[in-house]
Amino acid sequence: MSKNTSKTLTVDGIEYPLDTQKTVLENLESQAIKVEFHCRDGHCGACRCALLSGDVNYRSYPLAYVRKNDILTCCSQASSDIKIATY
Amino acid sequence: MAYTTFSKIANDAMKEPMFFGNPVNVARYDQQKFEVFEKLIEKQLSFFWRPEEIDVSRDRIDFMNLPDHEQHIFISNLKYQTLLDSIQGRSPNVAFLPIVSLPELETWIETWSFSETIHSRSYTHILRNLFTDPSEVFEDIVTNEEIQKRASDIAGYYDTLIHAVQFMQLHGLDQQAVDYINLEGQKETLSLRSIKKKLYLCICSVNALEAIRFYVSFACSFAFAERDLLEGNAKIIKLIARDEALHLTSTQQILNLWADGRDDPEMAEIALECFSEGRDIFLKAAEQEKEWAQYLFKDGSMIGLNEAILCQYVEYITNQRMQAIGYEAPFDIKTNPIPWINHWLVSDNVQVAPQEAEISSYLVGQINSKVDSDELSSFEL
Repeated sequence: MSKNTSKTLTVDGIEYPLDTQKTVLENLESQAIKVEFHCRDGHCGACRCALLSGDVNYRSYPLAYVRKNDILTCCSQASSDIKIATY
Repeated sequence: MAYTTFSKIANDAMKEPMFFGNPVNVARYDQQKFEVFEKLIEKQLSFFWRPEEIDVSRDRIDFMNLPDHEQHIFISNLKYQTLLDSIQGRSPNVAFLPIVSLPELETWIETWSFSETIHSRSYTHILRNLFTDPSEVFEDIVTNEEIQKRASDIAGYYDTLIHAVQFMQLHGLDQQAVDYINLEGQKETLSLRSIKKKLYLCICSVNALEAIRFYVSFACSFAFAERDLLEGNAKIIKLIARDEALHLTSTQQILNLWADGRDDPEMAEIALECFSEGRDIFLKAAEQEKEWAQYLFKDGSMIGLNEAILCQYVEYITNQRMQAIGYEAPFDIKTNPIPWINHWLVSDNVQVAPQEAEISSYLVGQINSKVDSDELSSFEL
């Protein structure tokens, strides 16, 4: 397993290492950040966060409505630095 | 504007609004205005399950051993959910199909309603197992005051919309020869815009129903299962919760598409106009669910859940759902008071593989119980 920890994930202003192999939600959980989630499948929308900078890719099609500048953390992955804010 | 099952107008479905455009003619999905509805259909179909697959036979023993006040909690919730799914199993079809204009949305509405009928059948499956004659439980649904209070609120928005649409499709909107008399018996001037407004409020009410109303009962069912009680029921409720989350997504999509002006521009105006009315629908639903929690726990609470915690959960989930459609969170609560519920709501955890023991149909005939010792006579060591 090659872990890429040179990237950073900034949550509400605090920097954490970003594992690009994991979803954003899994990253948050591995840093013990308490965030909302229900379905972990992109259809309930409970894990919605604001994306302040950077880009994410979706592993599966996000069924919940995603507004501009919002992301669903449960089914998205980041390949470079991102900044997000929790609701 | 009479309804036609196959409109001969050669329209471009890509240019139609979601509702009140031309009726859908060709059910084609090669091109889609809103692809998400097709994805929702696929997801819903992949979720398919049958109540008979889940073995609820152990629940009867658990139920009999429950104290009276916990039996009241369990049965009342089942009654309420039966009511909700009775409404949802037919109303989206009756209310929305005559006015829908996109093929993918039309099929989604049918798929959605169909899955609600599976839920209704599963309540009978659960109740049949608990009682020799479940009639008393079903019959109480139409007479129980606490349930009735909610029923009229939920059905009201549907009925108002259906009534107005039926008038429009029968008499048109000029109202020269025939006056429109609404459900309250009052004369009302109908316009396409006023009917669209009824549609908007109806979708808001359905959204609130799927977003909040189900979750009080869900929480109770899962709380029983956390104590290893009534687990068959909880397995069914888990599947229902997974479906409901998907249905909720669809109404949130519709509301957000309207509000963001990506569909009918008039609906975007109506979304603004009805902003506060939409909020009131949500707040009223939350209030009614808190009253319901009070009714459930009137004779005593259950281990792991009481009225206060359940009310906090209603507030918490109301915040979440309202933020999803662009409202401010109305309540102060920030964290989930019953975090263990998430474990039951995770979609991935739902295992429907046939090798699971609870799928009784798979096990039928798997064990040959008539083995005579003679059959082993030829065995040698």
